[in-house]
Amino acid sequence: MDGGWGYLPARQSWLEPTCYALLALYQDPASVSAWERGWSLLRSWQLPDGGWRPAAPVSASSWASALCVTLHCVQESYDSSFERGLQWLIGSKGSEGGFFERAVNTVWKLPVEYDRRWKGWPWSPDAASWVEPTAHSLLALKKASRKAPAGAIARRIDEGERMLLDRRTNDGGWNHGNRRVYHVDLPSYPETTGIALTGLQGCTRDNLERSLDLARKYWMETSSPLAKAWLAIGLRNFGRHLPAPASPTPPDRDVMVTALEALASPNGGHQWLKIA
Amino acid sequence: MAQNRLKLPRRRFLPLAGAALLDGCASPPRLPMEPPGASAVFIAKAASYSRELAATLETGVRACGLSVKGKSILLKPNLVEFDSSTTINTNVALLAAAIETFQKMGAAVVRVGEGPGHRRDTMFLAEEADYRKGLARFDHLFVDLNRDDIVPVHNFAGQPEFFFPKTVLAADLIVSMPKMKTHHWAGATLSMKNFFGLVPGAIYGWPKNVLHQIGIPKSILALNRVFRNTFAIVDGIVGMEGNGPIQGSPKKCGVIAMGRNLPAVDATCCRIMGIDPQKLEYLQLARELGHIDSSNIEQRGEPIGAVQTSFRLIEAFRNVRLA
Repeated sequence: MDGGWGYLPARQSWLEPTCYALLALYQDPASVSAWERGWSLLRSWQLPDGGWRPAAPVSASSWASALCVTLHCVQESYDSSFERGLQWLIGSKGSEGGFFERAVNTVWKLPVEYDRRWKGWPWSPDAASWVEPTAHSLLALKKASRKAPAGAIARRIDEGERMLLDRRTNDGGWNHGNRRVYHVDLPSYPETTGIALTGLQGCTRDNLERSLDLARKYWMETSSPLAKAWLAIGLRNFGRHLPAPASPTPPDRDVMVTALEALASPNGGHQWLKIA
Repeated sequence: MAQNRLKLPRRRFLPLAGAALLDGCASPPRLPMEPPGASAVFIAKAASYSRELAATLETGVRACGLSVKGKSILLKPNLVEFDSSTTINTNVALLAAAIETFQKMGAAVVRVGEGPGHRRDTMFLAEEADYRKGLARFDHLFVDLNRDDIVPVHNFAGQPEFFFPKTVLAADLIVSMPKMKTHHWAGATLSMKNFFGLVPGAIYGWPKNVLHQIGIPKSILALNRVFRNTFAIVDGIVGMEGNGPIQGSPKKCGVIAMGRNLPAVDATCCRIMGIDPQKLEYLQLARELGHIDSSNIEQRGEPIGAVQTSFRLIEAFRNVRLA
């Protein structure tokens, strides 16, 4: 027992479910001791480059470092650990869309269609940008921007929002990050639509109405508890009213889903994932 | 070269385009030699996902000389996305038949594991694909490889350290159970490419973009170098043609292919699909691991000609059609 949470009970601790569990239990009087042990573990997983390892055996920084920056903002821990994490996040960038690739794309239209000017955040160092890590990073930077100098943060937020809006699928939602391949429009997924909306809070480039309507439709239809939770978090943080579930959901065996469901509930911690 | 460029995912375009420019000045690369001997591949006709599948699989496993007594087996289906209008995933009836077959043949443990490349909610996908309904004791059997405990492996594809799920590394035998499909980046996705699902998303993401950065053919080779205790059962009863692996069309082929040597199984499946395996880059690289040349593959069961069905290919792969 290292103080963290695994994706499933009694399994190896991972950064991602630990962050969601800490957010779900934040300020819960009955969970103070568990919270502090989890927070200590999270702090001990920060690497010299400022990012956080995704699990104990891994010595490279993870995309989930964005969640750690968000958690520091929620906890109002604006210390050196936060600063180093923030700098890591600002410096992390997708590897795609270099000059040569862009030049070639103007001559031969490449099969994956997207605007190569805008970069978001990758899943792993030196990889390309994708929707989910970009949304988490945008949320973290938006929350951090209240306590950190604006310049570099504002530029990354601007570019990240452009990237997310460009990767939006034809139906108004988001999938993992490819909207059109070989001249075929790809469909969105409910869970990534909810996550992308969470990252796009405060975006003024687009009123997002179509996306929010789709998210609500997905929320009513999906049977995926993970997707339902992310959609509720996204919609509630945009001020959309959702009816409370008729009966409480029984705890899921999946720790991360349980934490996200707690965050998504009407009186739950989705406010911690709100930008203001 | 333009055809090759079109095949590439955007993540790999720049370095490979540079290499392509150099290709024009260099002599053709030397292909690896195939290992000595021959590999057996068993082909069975199967018109539908019927209850007789277990008997067919047992015949094929025995024909390939595989012993599973006392072994811990991980079945790796192809569970990618769900779309009720097409057929993307390994059919649950074949998976259930494989479990029944290996248990009957004395396997100590049979589990099912998959780490889908696009969708985060693996259990939802499994539900949609009827795996929960179609597999007895599903919760006991099934492992989400994207979120399993992890163990490091050294020198994978030139990376000092790479992580794989504990469940995968603990298995005595990994049975790759792909759907027989065309693939818009690799040409075809069969038993070797199916190992992309062994890479944990919790570290490498959704999609596992690091594999695209390494290069799809090289990643396929690297994964198959790590996992050598393998067997393949390819679901070609209804495959996918055209813009696979997700947006293609169902293709009734009525076949199951099986074998211990995955390059030989994939080469055979390509021939069944009307694809020249010598023209797929990943199979060219895979010659160091197994047999691609038909002269080195011992076909058992049905002959290829009895089940051959030309799969529709996208424009970028029109030049890989079997002559």
